[in-house]
Amino acid sequence: MGDVILDNVTKRYADVTAVDDMNLDIHDGEFVTLVGPSGCGKSTTLETIAGLTIPSEGTITIAGVDVTTRPPKDRDIAMVFQNIALFPHMDVHDNMSFGLRLRDYASDEIDRRVASAADILQIEDLLDRMPDELSGGQRQRVAIGRAIVREPAVFLMDEPLANLDAKLRVHMRTELQRLHKELETTIIYVTHDQAEAMTMSDRIAVMNEGHLQQIAPPLVCYDQPANLFVAGFIGSPSMNFVDGTVRATEIETEGFDVEFDPSYVDELGEGDEVTVGIRPEDVYPAEDAGELANPTRPIRARTDVLEPMGDEIFVYIILRGEDASDTDADTGAAGAASAHGVDELLMSVEPDSTLTDDEDLEVVLDREKVHLFDTASGDAVSHDIVHSGSVGEQRSAWEGG
Amino acid sequence: MSSATDEEEGGPLRRWTRDAIQNPGSTYRGLFYVVTLFFLVTTLFPFYWLLVLALTPGDQMRNIGLLPNGFNPYAFVEMFERLPFHVYMFNSIVIALTTTVIVLLVGSFAGYAFGRLRFRGKTPLLLLLLAISYFPPAAFILPLFQLFTGNVTLVTLPVVGAVQSPNWFNTPGAMVTPFSALFLPLSIFILTTFYSQIPDGLEDAARVEGTTRIGALFRVIIPLSAPGVATAGVLTFIGVYNEFFISFLMTDGQAENWAPIVWGVVNYQGQYQAFYNLMAAASIVGVLPVVILVVVAQERIVSGLTAGALKE
Repeated sequence: MGDVILDNVTKRYADVTAVDDMNLDIHDGEFVTLVGPSGCGKSTTLETIAGLTIPSEGTITIAGVDVTTRPPKDRDIAMVFQNIALFPHMDVHDNMSFGLRLRDYASDEIDRRVASAADILQIEDLLDRMPDELSGGQRQRVAIGRAIVREPAVFLMDEPLANLDAKLRVHMRTELQRLHKELETTIIYVTHDQAEAMTMSDRIAVMNEGHLQQIAPPLVCYDQPANLFVAGFIGSPSMNFVDGTVRATEIETEGFDVEFDPSYVDELGEGDEVTVGIRPEDVYPAEDAGELANPTRPIRARTDVLEPMGDEIFVYIILRGEDASDTDADTGAAGAASAHGVDELLMSVEPDSTLTDDEDLEVVLDREKVHLFDTASGDAVSHDIVHSGSVGEQRSAWEGG
Repeated sequence: MSSATDEEEGGPLRRWTRDAIQNPGSTYRGLFYVVTLFFLVTTLFPFYWLLVLALTPGDQMRNIGLLPNGFNPYAFVEMFERLPFHVYMFNSIVIALTTTVIVLLVGSFAGYAFGRLRFRGKTPLLLLLLAISYFPPAAFILPLFQLFTGNVTLVTLPVVGAVQSPNWFNTPGAMVTPFSALFLPLSIFILTTFYSQIPDGLEDAARVEGTTRIGALFRVIIPLSAPGVATAGVLTFIGVYNEFFISFLMTDGQAENWAPIVWGVVNYQGQYQAFYNLMAAASIVGVLPVVILVVVAQERIVSGLTAGALKE
């Protein structure tokens, strides 16, 4: 009953297209997050679902009813806003019951629903306070309470946690997930914070410049990003990208070569320009590579800056421009790195690592985790160059539902 | 820096000037009292003089000084015996209230459009509206009189024939309509400023919760703009209550014909006799509703005129 379908939704303003040909199929009870950098059209998309903005083209269906041109009040939705938007002239009870009173609910039914929502959100003691007497987190709970008392088919949330401090934000994240589990109502959530998207959602819809880049479960977006944008946006710190060229038996980049058989991937042939993507946790110091089934050849590098995070250390390493296997060619050539040009990679290592600044080392990449992207189009062509198979086959697995 | 002996030199004037330069605060305070006194005298003296006139018996209306010639509070009773002045006041209050309601209602819609919607030609349209308030009401007197005495052919229809303007002489309509038009621009301007400051999120929230745009206007935007609405309302009420030209023109001066207080005051003057003490008493009584309104609403008006701001 709470499914939401966007069909070719486009929103044009005088000089920009905010949302371009957006298609979404959100199932009842699903928690879907629209994520992307600011100005990517995610909020506009949410506003078209809310009815605050009428799309230039396309149709929006909520719970099987075409609501494209209906006003917000006739859509069976509730919304939580970034700036919270509690009515300053009403106390908490009146704020929460505003929508119910407009719909002429009996007063005992209103009181019952407000009480039960207040119970869920633990704001029973605040019902007769005015909004300006509440803390940021309390206001946010009241705003969520105002949404849930109406028992709508769909919740829309526009960066509801953006104005909270970091600690409270993480806490409210958990609360929202708990709430979703309890209510089992569809939630469409907008955020620019990929961590929020990753942790809360059933599926993430990544948007950029008005276009939907990928919609998939969080780990699929992480492990099998559809293109360079998704690969770079999801995950923190983001994926390393290195430009390379496909050769007969390998992919050649400035800093290293990766063994690769182009015949594995139909889309690729010798001479194609590709971008190699590798996440920081898939780069290993050579001595730790023993457990990897398919490492690359050791790559000579030098550590640059270390960022200890407590549970892991991020190490910026400068590639020295040659494989360690060619050592006989340039023994003792300290200036080799500058001669070949410098490439930098980010590597994440265990916190007990003894690495220091400016230390020479050899690293390997996990070839099963190397992503290949078509440099020209940005589209992913392979997410595992060992077992490979084309991306198309992998994708159909999770897009089918 | 001058030494102590230098400072004590010179006459009193010189010492005083030096003090004033070194310690300007006391001078400013002194000037403040002078200016305040000036304004108090110029605004309050006419009322005092009215009171003097009202208390002077009718046959002593000669060579009146700063104190009344005699003491006759009975004038405040006699004014009601001679004319139904309370009816004139009732007429004025009804006309002013009706105008205020119309102005606030129409002004709210206009203020919503100008303050919260984006459309082409908004600024020129708002300026044009404001330009209307630059015209003195007297400029409209002749055409309006013609219009409301049924002397204007509005349109000539094929079957019905000529459609004349309504004959609203001696009815409130002849006053309420032009007053509304004349006082709308100011109210629209005030309300536009206030409504534009209400965050969009609040209106969006109200609409998602179940109101229409107009519902959001009345349930959220207007309540949050209360100081602005009060300001616009009070200014309109006072403006209409005090208006002279159109009030004087649109009735024949009889209390039962919706004549406002202007006529009440003027009617104490007969062809052969003028009851100046009664006119003065009536003027004082007539001003009371406005005084009460201003005292009650002054905090709202001041905050509305100066701040115009909503927190957040």
